[in-house]
Amino acid sequence: MNIIYKLIKKEIIRFLNDKTSMMLTFIVPIILMVIFGNIFGGHGSSRGKANLILINNSNSEIAKFIEQKLDSTETLRLIKNYSEEFSEIKFPYTEEIAKEHIKKGKISSALILPENFFTDTSSSLLFKFYYDPKNEIESAMIQGSVQQTIMSQVGGIMPVLMMRQAKKQIGENKFLNFSDDLKKTVSANFGVNVDSLQFLGGDFEKRAMNLNNNNSSNVIGNLVKFDSEQLVGADVKSPGLTRSIGGIAMMFMLFTLTAAANSMFEEKSEGTLNRLLCMPVKRSHILWSKYIYSLLLGIFQLLVLFTSAWLIFDLDIFSNFINLIIVIIASAAAAVSFGMIITSFAKNINQASGLSTLLILVMSAIGGAWFPIFLLPDWMQSLARGTLTFWAVEAYIQVLWRSADFSAIALNVLVLLSIAFIINFYSLLRFRKGKVFR
Amino acid sequence: MLQIENVSIKFGNIEALKGINLKVQKGEFFGLLGPNGAGKSTLMKIIVGYLKPDNGHVIMGNELVVYDNVNFRRKIGFVPQEISLYLELSAYQNLKIFGGFYNIPGKVLEEKITEVLKLVQLEDRKKDAVKNFSGGMKRRLNIAASILHDPELILCDEPTVGVDPQSRNAIFDMLMKLNREGKTIIYTTHYMEEAERMCPRLAIIDYGQIIAEGTLTELKKMLERQVTLKVLKTSITIEKTNELSQIGKLLELDGHYEIIPNEYFELNSKLFYYLEELGIPADIINLSRASLEDVFLSLTGRSLRD
Repeated sequence: MNIIYKLIKKEIIRFLNDKTSMMLTFIVPIILMVIFGNIFGGHGSSRGKANLILINNSNSEIAKFIEQKLDSTETLRLIKNYSEEFSEIKFPYTEEIAKEHIKKGKISSALILPENFFTDTSSSLLFKFYYDPKNEIESAMIQGSVQQTIMSQVGGIMPVLMMRQAKKQIGENKFLNFSDDLKKTVSANFGVNVDSLQFLGGDFEKRAMNLNNNNSSNVIGNLVKFDSEQLVGADVKSPGLTRSIGGIAMMFMLFTLTAAANSMFEEKSEGTLNRLLCMPVKRSHILWSKYIYSLLLGIFQLLVLFTSAWLIFDLDIFSNFINLIIVIIASAAAAVSFGMIITSFAKNINQASGLSTLLILVMSAIGGAWFPIFLLPDWMQSLARGTLTFWAVEAYIQVLWRSADFSAIALNVLVLLSIAFIINFYSLLRFRKGKVFR
Repeated sequence: MLQIENVSIKFGNIEALKGINLKVQKGEFFGLLGPNGAGKSTLMKIIVGYLKPDNGHVIMGNELVVYDNVNFRRKIGFVPQEISLYLELSAYQNLKIFGGFYNIPGKVLEEKITEVLKLVQLEDRKKDAVKNFSGGMKRRLNIAASILHDPELILCDEPTVGVDPQSRNAIFDMLMKLNREGKTIIYTTHYMEEAERMCPRLAIIDYGQIIAEGTLTELKKMLERQVTLKVLKTSITIEKTNELSQIGKLLELDGHYEIIPNEYFELNSKLFYYLEELGIPADIINLSRASLEDVFLSLTGRSLRD
């Protein structure tokens, strides 16, 4: 044990003297975590907005209302003016300039509310939308936000437009006759005063359009009731980061611990491995020291990362701390075994680095470290279950997002520890044949 | 002190060592001379128990050296051929790390570190990172890291490769001092000058076999010629070729004659008197004594540097 302790101490001294390794182990993951945190709304209001040119040429109340509502969305930043190069003078956007700017890639989308957007006789709302789908996510987000705003805020206009369409289709006389007949039927059967019934124009249209933010009189809004309640993570302060930090942590830990295991090749090429083996040091001492050191490094790395997330984004790591530590230890054990097996198979440092980078990136992609795995085809989702990243990321989500108890993570922990045990056992056998000790 | 009996090892199809037998006495400075790839380093690694021989064994004192017996390694200091140091760490940190594996108590280790740093003349650089050291300084530290635990036997595997003459001399002085203090040293090299200078007794190894063993005098006696006379080809010497061939066996080479004097002319006085009689000027004559290079050449037909 004394020799193993001294070898671990040697690893720590070397690590503390290697500024690059320190930076890659601690600083880079924190920087990436901060970027992810901001993308996914780590600070809520600080989330990024998509730029959208808005040109409102209509004088209608409804156009002004839509402009006001779009202006207040969290996802869009309306751009109404532009300035020429090297000039601070602002000009209001015109349709032609907007199109030109989109073609030049200065901005990706423009929404035009033309002069005839909505008039007293309009039977439809007329929008023009120009876009460059260079970034499909951004385009989809802008179009979704625009449609959602229109449908949710001015959905009441729809009955008015439908009535106007009907009037246009069947002619004014027939429509008036139909309207009178309908009024009489309603009056006869429901005892309502005929004069108070109105299906087009005047007060009906104003009430239907509901431009005063009073949802109770929103005709369409009241047709469909959608009661939603968030059951999980409602009180989580940084939801996006809470869901994604497990993936970031796992990917960087894999890189760090694989590099730590691969450092045996560096020691071999530096000659220090041979020197150690000509001293009172056995191969098993070296392997055990690498394993224990890597495990400790992985645990420490994740503790630093999670603590930073707590300090910067108020990520709640303490309410389920014991389970978080269990998952950290299990995932670190699995990650170390991954590094050891790569080292036992590789012929040299280049092969080990290349192979480990490839496998880590693939495992991170399909294991859910970068994006939710439901985005993947079914067969890839099945494949994901064969990666240690999947089990670790799921466990982190259970612990941090759901504040789940141990029973919810028991299977994940068991799988991770089993991966660690089996792979380590196999890599120990491989080290007898591998190149690192030859 | 050390007995190597019938040691053989194969790497794949390559027979790296073929039945090596050697004896090294306590306190001896023993040389192992051979070209690169002859099997010197492999033999060193077998002696230290790092490699397991396919056949044969090594006995140190009265103990059989068992492969991977780490306790046995405490008696040996192995100086590897490569600079085997943590370059990003300081000289002191390196010595502290390597010394730590020998279970030397903290205070004693500190004293030993100071002592060996003084021995290798690096006391004033102990806090500097090794990567900033010159090649010679690294080599000296490489040795220092191997003798911290006061080993009985020091195995030096080509410890002066790539070192400037000044550092080389410093290393020689250091090793000779250790030898005078009673350490047994086995020194491998492919520089015959080093072997001649340092090792009173040595073995020549080639293709995994010991092809000769003995003191310098014994080895040189194996040669047909102990002395070689070289005479430049000039108008005078070309005219006197017949007379020159009276000295001994004459070979006509590019630009000069090479003559192996016969028994009569082995005495320098007779040889120079005869040359003077012939009217051959002294500045075109070169008389050389046999070297280990010649021994190796005569035994293998190849130069040590081939």
